[in-house]
Amino acid sequence: MKSIKRTQRLISLVISLFVLGMAVLVFKLIHESSFYMMNSDKHELGFVYDRKGDVLFDGTGEGSYPDNYFLDVGNIIGDDKGQMNNTLVANNIEKLNNYDFSNGLKQKGGKAAIYTTLDHASNRAVFNAFGYQDGCVCAYNYKTGEMLVSASLPSLDVTKGYADIGSFRPGTLLSKTLSGTVPGSTQKVSTVVTALEIMGTSNLYAKSYNCSGKYTNLTGDTIDCHNIYGHGTQNIQEAFENSCNPFFAQLIEDDDMPLDRVMKQYEKMGYVLNGDKPTYYEIDGIQCDTASTTLEDKYQFKTQWGCIGQGDTLVSPMQLMMWQSAIANETGRMTMPYFIDHVTDVNGKVKDKAKTRYSDKLFSESTASAAKQILLTNGADRYAYSISGYSVGVKSGTAQVDEGAHENSLLVGFVDDPSFPIAFCILIEHKDSGYLTTEQIAQVLLDNLKNNN
Amino acid sequence: MYANPVAYVFSCIFVLIAHFAMLSNIWFNGNYTEVRDVAVLGAAVIILDIAYFAVILAFKQMSYALDFLLILIMGMSVIFQSCFGHVKLDVKHYITCIVCLAACKAGYMLCRDHKLLQDKKLYIYGAIGVMVLITLVFTSAENMWIEIGSFTLQPSEFIKPLFVLACATSIADQQKRHKILIFNVVYENIALFCIMAVICLVQVKSHDYGSLPTFLSIYAMGFLLRICYPKAKFSKKKLFGVIAVLVVFLLIGLKYAPDYVQHRLHVDIWSDKTGDGYQQSQALIGVANGGWFGVGPGKGFLANVFAYDNDIVFATVSEEWGLLYALMMVLVIIIITAVPLINPTRSYFHGSMSACVCAAFIVQMALNIFGSCNLIPFTGVTIPFISTGGSSLLVSGLMIGMLMAGQSPVFKEHKQKKQEDPEPAWRWKE
Repeated sequence: MKSIKRTQRLISLVISLFVLGMAVLVFKLIHESSFYMMNSDKHELGFVYDRKGDVLFDGTGEGSYPDNYFLDVGNIIGDDKGQMNNTLVANNIEKLNNYDFSNGLKQKGGKAAIYTTLDHASNRAVFNAFGYQDGCVCAYNYKTGEMLVSASLPSLDVTKGYADIGSFRPGTLLSKTLSGTVPGSTQKVSTVVTALEIMGTSNLYAKSYNCSGKYTNLTGDTIDCHNIYGHGTQNIQEAFENSCNPFFAQLIEDDDMPLDRVMKQYEKMGYVLNGDKPTYYEIDGIQCDTASTTLEDKYQFKTQWGCIGQGDTLVSPMQLMMWQSAIANETGRMTMPYFIDHVTDVNGKVKDKAKTRYSDKLFSESTASAAKQILLTNGADRYAYSISGYSVGVKSGTAQVDEGAHENSLLVGFVDDPSFPIAFCILIEHKDSGYLTTEQIAQVLLDNLKNNN
Repeated sequence: MYANPVAYVFSCIFVLIAHFAMLSNIWFNGNYTEVRDVAVLGAAVIILDIAYFAVILAFKQMSYALDFLLILIMGMSVIFQSCFGHVKLDVKHYITCIVCLAACKAGYMLCRDHKLLQDKKLYIYGAIGVMVLITLVFTSAENMWIEIGSFTLQPSEFIKPLFVLACATSIADQQKRHKILIFNVVYENIALFCIMAVICLVQVKSHDYGSLPTFLSIYAMGFLLRICYPKAKFSKKKLFGVIAVLVVFLLIGLKYAPDYVQHRLHVDIWSDKTGDGYQQSQALIGVANGGWFGVGPGKGFLANVFAYDNDIVFATVSEEWGLLYALMMVLVIIIITAVPLINPTRSYFHGSMSACVCAAFIVQMALNIFGSCNLIPFTGVTIPFISTGGSSLLVSGLMIGMLMAGQSPVFKEHKQKKQEDPEPAWRWKE
C-alpha cells in the first residue's frame, strides 16, 4: 500500500503542476484579453477628452464637429487608423475599447474613455498663433506633471482621413515635441548646470572670459559669436544673457571642467554620447526622444560646438521642458509629464488615476537654485517686456539646421509662480520666413493657460 | 452487474442532466438554421449515453466512476465538435467517439490481469517494434497519417499505450541486477531506455516534436516509479546526476534544433500574426471574444481557422461556450486522471500504469492548451477526448481502459508453461 501511495504522490504532483499552469493561464487570459481584442478587427472605441470634457478623439465616429476641430491635437492624440504609431490613441487603444472579459464587446453605451490633462482651448490658441509657420509648443505643470499643451505644426484633422496623404507636408504625422531637434543656445542651460555641478556656484561666478567676436580654440578652430564686435569680458550671468559662444567654448576648455566629469553629468541628465544607442522616455506609452551630443575632446571644435547646442546635438522640446522642471522646483529632479489623468472602463468606473512622479536626481539642489537664479535674471533683464505679466526664467536659442540653410528659434523656460507653475518649450522653424517670435507664442500660451484654468 | 443501483441511477441522471444543459444552451443560444439539426444532435448524444449506460452493466467492475466520467466527456466532445461554426451532428466524430468507448472496454479487458501482461512482455516490445516500423515506412515528415477511406490513422499515436505497458511491466523485473565488469546492470532498464531512444528518434525523423514530451513524460514517470520501488537502491546523488544529464541533453537539443523549431520557440505571435503566429493569435482573440460565457455555440469565428477542432480546440470551445465551460471540460479530464487518487489501484503494476497514463494525458493537455494560448511553444498535439482525430480518440480510449483496469484488476495465478525457465524468454543469458 505504501508503494502505491508513491504512485499517487506522483500523480498528485503532475496534476498540481498542471492546475498551477492553468491558474497562470486563466490569469493571463483575463489580464491580457483587452490586448487580444485590440489585435482583432472588432473594436468599439470610446472617447478621449481634454481636462474640461472637450472631445479630442471620437472613437465612435458618430459625432459631429466643426471643421478642423481636432487639427491642433491631430498628431499627438492621433487615431486608430494605424498611420501614426506614436500617439496617445495608438499607444493606449486598449483603454479606449469598450470591452472587458466579463461583459465582452459592448456595441452601444460603453463608457470606456481617456481623460487627458490637455487644455484644448489653450492648445488651439497656441496652434493658431503660429499662422502659416511651423514648429511646436509643449507646456506642463512642473509641480504635478500634467501636460497642458502639446501642439505641433503642420498637423491634420484625423476626421478627414488619409486620402490626401501624398500631399501632407513633412512632419504632419508626428509631434515635433517628441522628436530630437538642434537646441541652439538653449543647450547652454545644460552646460551651465554641468559647470555649476562641477565647479560650484562661487567658483563658476569667479570665472570670466573675454569675447572679441570670435574665439580661436587650442586646436585652431574658430568659434564665432553672433555679436561680431564681441561682448568683452563677462562672467557667467552676462555670458548666459548674451548667449556668448566664445565664453562657453572657453568654459569647456577650462582646466576646472574635466571632460570625464562633463560627460558624466551630461549622461546623468539623459544625454546619449558619441553615437551610443538612442534612448527615449515613455509618457503614457508615447515615446519621447532624449538628448544626444558629441563629447570627445574638450579642445576640439566638435565638442565645444556640441556644448553650445549646434553640430550633432539633438534634444526634444519635451526633454528641454522637463529639465526646466528640475530647475524651477529647485530639486534637481525632473517632474515626469503625463497626458492621461484617468481612464474609465466600459462601465464608467474610474481606473488608472495618474500620480505625480519624479526622475532620479540629475543635479544637486544648490545647482538647481543657482541655475534658476541665472534663468530668472535673464528673464527679468531680457524678457520682462516681451513676456509681460509673468515672472519667467527663460533661455532662447537659435539653431542652424539643414546645414546652415535655415535657422530655428527656440525658447525654454518656466513661470516662477507657485500658483501658476508652468514650464514650456517653444520651437519656431525657419524663423526668417516670418515675423513670429517665440516670445509672442509664449505670451499667447501663458495668457491662455492663465485665463482658461 | 452494477453493485449499487442507486449510485448507478444517480450517475446516469447526472450525465444526462449535464448533456441536456449543454443541448439547452444550443437551443437558446446556438447558431442553427433548422431545429432538426439540434434535435438530431440531442438524440445522438442521449442515445449514446443510454447505450453506454446499458453496456457497462455487462462488465463486472469494482468501480464505474471512470465509465461515467468517460461518457460525460464523450458527450461533451460530440456536442462541442458538432457546434463549431454551425450546429450539425458531426457524424465522423460521433463514430470515432463510439470507437473510443469500445477501445476503452478493450483496453480494460486487456490490462486488468497484470500477470498475463508480464508474461506477454515480449509481445508488447514486438508490437512497439512493428508500430515503429510502420511509422518509419508509411509516414514521413510531410505526412504523419495513413489514410483509410475517409479516416486517417497516425501510427505513432499507437506507440503511446504500448510504451505505457512497457514501462509498467518492466518495473517488477528491474531489481534483477547483473554484474558486468564493475557495473551492476539491469537489463530491463537498458531495454526500456533503448526503446525510448528509438521512439524519440522516430519522432524526430517524423518531425513530430509535439509527441516527444508525451513519450518523455511516460518514461519519466516509469523511471521515477522504478527508483521509488520499495527494493530500489537509487541514491539522491544518482537522481540529481540523471536530471543534470537530461537538462544538458535538453539544452543541446534546443540549441541544435532545426530552424523551423527554433523559430517556433522564439516567434512573437503578435508581430507575426499573419504568419507563424496566426493560429495562436487568433486563438487568443477567440478566447477574449468569448469571455466567461461565450458568444454562443456555432457563433465563433475560430471555426474558420485551420485546426480549430484539434490543435486550438480549447480556444474554439472557449470562444463559443465561454472560458467557464472550457475550464469545466478540462476539470472533467483532470478528475479522470485523479480517479486513482480517490480510488487507489490495487497493485504496483496498475499504479505505475495509471501514473504513466495520467502523465501522458496531462502533458498532452498542457501542450495543447498552453501551446495554443502562447504560454509555451505551439506544438499541435491534441487534447484527449476533445480534439478530433481517430487515432487520438482510439488511443485515449485504450489508455482510459488501462486506468479502468487499475480500478478493477484481476489477480489470477497463471500456470508457468516453462517451469524450468522462470525468466522471460527474451532476456539476455549470462
